[in-house]
Amino acid sequence: MIKRFLSLEWKQFRRASYFQKGIAIKILLFLAVLYFGGIAIFVGGAMFFGLKKIFPEIDPIVMVNNFLIYWILFELMIRYFMQQLPVMNIKPLMIIPIKRNTVIHYLLGKTMLSFFNFISPLFLLPFSIVLLFQGYPVANVILWFFALMSITMSINFLNFLINKSNTVFYGIAVMVIVIVALKYFNLFDVTEPVGKIFNGLYNQPYLAIIPLLIVVGLYKANFNFIRKGFYLDGAVSKKIKEVNATDLSWMDRFGSVAPFLKNDIKMITRNARPKQVVLMSFFFLFYGLFFFTQKVYIEEMPYLLGFASIFITGGFLLSFGQLVPSWDSEYYKLLMSQNIPYRQYLESKWYLMVFAVIVAFILSTPYLYFGMDIYLIIAAGALFNIGLNTFITLFGGALNRVPIELDTKAKAFSNTNGFNPTQLLIALPKLILPIIIFFIPYHFISFNAGLIALALSGVIGMVFKNFFLNKIEQVYQKGKYKTIAAFSEKK
Amino acid sequence: MIITSNLSKKYNGVSVLHIQNLEIPKGQSFGLVGNNGAGKTTYFSLLLDLIQPTTGYIKNNNVLVHESEDWKPFTSSFIDESFLIGYLTSEEYFYFIGELRGQNKADVDALVSQFEDFFHGEILGQKKYLRDLSKGNQKKAGIVAALIGNPEVIILDEPFANLDPTTQIRLKGIIKDLAEKQGVTVLVSSHDLMHVTDVCERIVVLEKGEVIKDLATNAATLKELEAHFAGSEMV
Repeated sequence: MIKRFLSLEWKQFRRASYFQKGIAIKILLFLAVLYFGGIAIFVGGAMFFGLKKIFPEIDPIVMVNNFLIYWILFELMIRYFMQQLPVMNIKPLMIIPIKRNTVIHYLLGKTMLSFFNFISPLFLLPFSIVLLFQGYPVANVILWFFALMSITMSINFLNFLINKSNTVFYGIAVMVIVIVALKYFNLFDVTEPVGKIFNGLYNQPYLAIIPLLIVVGLYKANFNFIRKGFYLDGAVSKKIKEVNATDLSWMDRFGSVAPFLKNDIKMITRNARPKQVVLMSFFFLFYGLFFFTQKVYIEEMPYLLGFASIFITGGFLLSFGQLVPSWDSEYYKLLMSQNIPYRQYLESKWYLMVFAVIVAFILSTPYLYFGMDIYLIIAAGALFNIGLNTFITLFGGALNRVPIELDTKAKAFSNTNGFNPTQLLIALPKLILPIIIFFIPYHFISFNAGLIALALSGVIGMVFKNFFLNKIEQVYQKGKYKTIAAFSEKK
Repeated sequence: MIITSNLSKKYNGVSVLHIQNLEIPKGQSFGLVGNNGAGKTTYFSLLLDLIQPTTGYIKNNNVLVHESEDWKPFTSSFIDESFLIGYLTSEEYFYFIGELRGQNKADVDALVSQFEDFFHGEILGQKKYLRDLSKGNQKKAGIVAALIGNPEVIILDEPFANLDPTTQIRLKGIIKDLAEKQGVTVLVSSHDLMHVTDVCERIVVLEKGEVIKDLATNAATLKELEAHFAGSEMV
């Protein structure tokens, strides 16, 4: 029976839409996997020596153990938002004469192969190997490694429960908040005792049995949970939440684009996929920290600051905007046959992006800490985003014809939407243009001249808004039939 | 009202629709029947400019459909679920369509309240997103949304499918009323011969993309249609 399941899985994998793409994309994807995998392995291997150098008086493994709690919380969070549960696929299996238990074991087993379970071993395996070569006791290291793998698996199963049960979700959320608050107010640092526990795991290798027991326990809990709810309206169903219509009539002041804006707000707040993207664009806000904390960039490569500033305020623009017509792919036929001029539709998307840039700019105020220059360049970058990047993004969207399933979370590495050569070409000017606009006046005149040039380019873009929108509308009109056909294809 | 001339659609050289000449006058209730693949949905998609004609054109109230967008204000349609916005509640969806067609909330409420009978208490005030409604209830919402904003042309693809018997009968009443009393041109396709003959003044039979029968409905029409489809089944 398991063999049949595996063959089904294989077919699902082989025939998934992201494998039906061109050879070039396959190669690119493969290279990306190699690249990130390679980085992880390298970091894992180099971690030992790096830690030793920075904290010579502390044993690297103690250091790692102390910080593991953060890693665990981080992984839990990432999984909660990103990991797609495989539950929906078992519907067709329910009426076939297969024992329920087999199906559930299979289902849970499948989650063990999730991409997310391979992140921590990618780091930890090389680290452990280095430890062995450094002459650390073999039994301790190996059992420590297995203990951590058990913990990863525990997170895997815990995430399943969190996703399915509100009680567990709120329980964990409260716990995390308490831990962070205690640490923040210097009342109690939970990392220390937890670090001790992990160090204990290392020093007393037989304790590795405890995480193993936790995995088994969580597996059982999951099993029982699904077993109890193994009905169409139980654990395998999507939760149907009761909803209340939201009143967004205050947005009517935006005139003819108001209906679309209201709709977009609802689309973002009520669907899994756009929520995920908005969350990601929030992380873009912190992108500047990479650059502004390092003297190298400020003193030797200031043109890169222009680049960084685009990301800080442009997170939403870049991640949401590049998929613009796709967000409406599920009901694109309606939009195309209803009483809607294309122009209004595009304009509303433009407003949405401008609004997001402004919000991001307000949120970026703390960057003042790095000085007025930095803050001004973020402001100039925001203007560029509003005045030019919005239009480039909308233009690029015309070439994007990948339908999106709104209420399904994107799976890691299957998210190749917008991942085609034209899309890449379109993405280039968004990032390189600000560097050029900033760098040339900066190089020949001064820092302030660069700032002004960047800000001015954005203002000019805004002045020519109607011209740009008209041009973009023409491009959309031209590709209309192709877009409709592509969006109505089954994924 | 709607003039179709020398219209054809080919996919990779295979013709899926070819209509030499078809005129639908204003206020007619027009029924389109045919087996799967006969070209019904293709014709409706061409009418809504969702696909491009290979040759020929459709004129909707003297507007060339594939060249101008001016037919949109007086034409409305419900073809399939992709005409619904899944993350809205029924009310929000009606208001959205209303806003697009220049109707305020009160207008929409007034119109929708006429159909409480038709909704059978399963559409309004449900606190559910459209995507969580059953297929039949989704269809009810979609059909009523197509009536918002006093359209002059209404296009409904398979409106009877998935509906329960009570609702089917009520829908027939609605369609008849639209064409007879309000002068709306209604285009309906269906697999249910009985329903179309009940509802439509004129019935066109499509087969492999060609018009092979064009009948003014009378007492004998149902028999004739049944004989026709029974015959083509035996071949």
